Amino acid sequence: MSGSAAPLDAIDPGRRATFAAIADRLIPEAHGMPSAGAVVGEARLRFVLTARPDLVEPLRQALRPELGDDPAGRLQTLERDEPDAHGALLLAVVGGYYTDKDVRDRLGYPGQEAKTLYSWQYPVYLEEGLIDQVLARGPIWRDPATGRRAEAGPGRTEETT
Amino acid sequence: MATEPADVLIVGAGASGGVVARRLSEAGFKVVCLEQGRWHDKAEYRGAELDWELTMRKQWSTSPNVRGLPEDYPIDERDADVSPLMFSAVGGSMLIFAGAWPRMLPSDFRVRSLDGVADDWPLTYEELRPYYERTDREFGVSGMGGDPAYPPGGEDPPLPPLPIGAGGLKVARAHTRLGWHWWPEPNSILSVAYDGRRPCVQRGTCQQGCNEGAKASTDLTHWPKAIDAGARLVTGARVRRLETNAAGLVTGATWLDDDGREHFEPARVVVLAANAIGTARLLLLSASSRHPDGLANSSGLVGRRLMMHPFANVAGLFDEDLESWQGQFGCSIESFEFYETDERRGFVRGAKWGLAPTFGPINAALPSRAGSQAWGPDHHLHVRSHLGRGANWGLFGEDLPDEANQVALSSSLTDSSGIPAPELHYQISDNSRRMLDFHIERASESLREAGAHTIEVDRLMRFSGWHLLGTARMGDDPKTSVLDRWNRTHDVPNLYVADGSCFVTSAGVNPTSSISALALRAADHMVETRFDQQVPL
Repeated sequence: MSGSAAPLDAIDPGRRATFAAIADRLIPEAHGMPSAGAVVGEARLRFVLTARPDLVEPLRQALRPELGDDPAGRLQTLERDEPDAHGALLLAVVGGYYTDKDVRDRLGYPGQEAKTLYSWQYPVYLEEGLIDQVLARGPIWRDPATGRRAEAGPGRTEETT
Repeated sequence: MATEPADVLIVGAGASGGVVARRLSEAGFKVVCLEQGRWHDKAEYRGAELDWELTMRKQWSTSPNVRGLPEDYPIDERDADVSPLMFSAVGGSMLIFAGAWPRMLPSDFRVRSLDGVADDWPLTYEELRPYYERTDREFGVSGMGGDPAYPPGGEDPPLPPLPIGAGGLKVARAHTRLGWHWWPEPNSILSVAYDGRRPCVQRGTCQQGCNEGAKASTDLTHWPKAIDAGARLVTGARVRRLETNAAGLVTGATWLDDDGREHFEPARVVVLAANAIGTARLLLLSASSRHPDGLANSSGLVGRRLMMHPFANVAGLFDEDLESWQGQFGCSIESFEFYETDERRGFVRGAKWGLAPTFGPINAALPSRAGSQAWGPDHHLHVRSHLGRGANWGLFGEDLPDEANQVALSSSLTDSSGIPAPELHYQISDNSRRMLDFHIERASESLREAGAHTIEVDRLMRFSGWHLLGTARMGDDPKTSVLDRWNRTHDVPNLYVADGSCFVTSAGVNPTSSISALALRAADHMVETRFDQQVPL
């Protein structure tokens, strides 16, 4: 999904700087992974807002200067008072970060792959006899005629209630 | 539009509408269907795209209130414990359903007789079984015969079972050690090529539309055949009300097109197939001086007894990489170990369990099911511990009918055509809460036995109202039911309801298999009694 610059036009440079600071606080560089502030630049943010144009306005609200310079305080205020804006901010950070190729490579996540099914192969659970053991325990359905667990064979009935 | 009345007018082109349309058109009926949604091409679905976890939360959300598309109608759910989920399109909610295809069990049809609660159905499992077998073939069901949770005999699913995955195998082994039931889940998802459709590729994005066409939906399995047989399907057609004549027969439907122009579609027989919210809404909207409380509502039960299956999710986290983002989002395995009533547990009836995949990294960070969020340096550890390392038991509890749980018409909210929206009143019962508590404990035990080091629980998932049932129940007594045993309304002899509205009780299983089988049974009856059918002159 390639997008124009249009969705980003609503996020001015001051708001983008605020976004980067919050992204770094939410997902900092650690454990061999880069920070979100470093990853979610213009390209990734444009990708997110092109896929989800409905996020533009709540994200603008979440990044408005009136909420101050402290990322932690801003997140607390938004979570408490403006859950929609808070949710849009988190999703923009996370969405931008985890659609980045380098991040996915580091996680060992190749995306949702198409895999060929080999339905003629004998399933491991059959090889291991797991189905045989389920069958060996007999029927577990409740016979409406008796109200009891169905009989596996002549003379066998188990109470279920 | 049309002046010659259709033999049968169907409202809604989803699961039940597609089944009825195919059966009747192939039998020579002149069939017309009005569908408020449109056709979707497989290329539209986002599952193979980088943005799938973003768009699944908006454009491809299962909630019409979240999507807010023009063809959706809003639902006032402020007084509901669970959010209803659906999709308006040719193929209906099957486009975004998981594809799990279990049948109801014999005891589900005899709840009053066996457990002293709710009501019995006016038919039995054995009566419905031949229709299950036919719809299994029509939709292309993959599974394994011989499940001891069901009576023996009959046809096996037509296609071999889908893989159960690494997580499914771990849990299957655990259940073997515990001595608990498990079985490969039947799914209406192709394990091999069938009927011109390609098999599943295990992408794990079934609920956002199947890019392969492997998951069954009637836009693929039924409508092309119905149209080939002469059915006419009108999309972008929002039905405003059904019309009746002085003899008390329905004469057709008044509907609005995309431009707001009003039309009338005349018909000899009308079949509602708009799901248990849409159908109830339409019957209530069709009130007149002759039917002041809504059409076919002499019992007062239209819209009442809404059931949506209280749903809990129990997730186990494992040390090993299970690639649990892949696999059919029907289910890999199921368990009926605790399905039947045991009153020592403190509740009646039970729940079916289905083991499902766990989505991708965005969901690992911002879980839509059970789980938490972590920020700061620990965020990376949190995502690594969740991504691909989970197994999710989804627990569908039987939802007993309660007349207070209902669909009504909103006095303030309307759809984009100005038609009153449905308003839901729906509370989870104490029986359901005790049931879920018990099953959550047992499912946690299952996952711990399988080796899970952490268990995360969503005790009642709000966005879980996939299963819309019961708002026009069937029965033999017109005073206590809306439909007869053949899905015909007691009050209006040429009006049928083919969708999940007809359910007497909800059972504790995914219902689309049963909805489809019941719809086929009703259509068969319409064919068999065609010369006795009362129609307007």
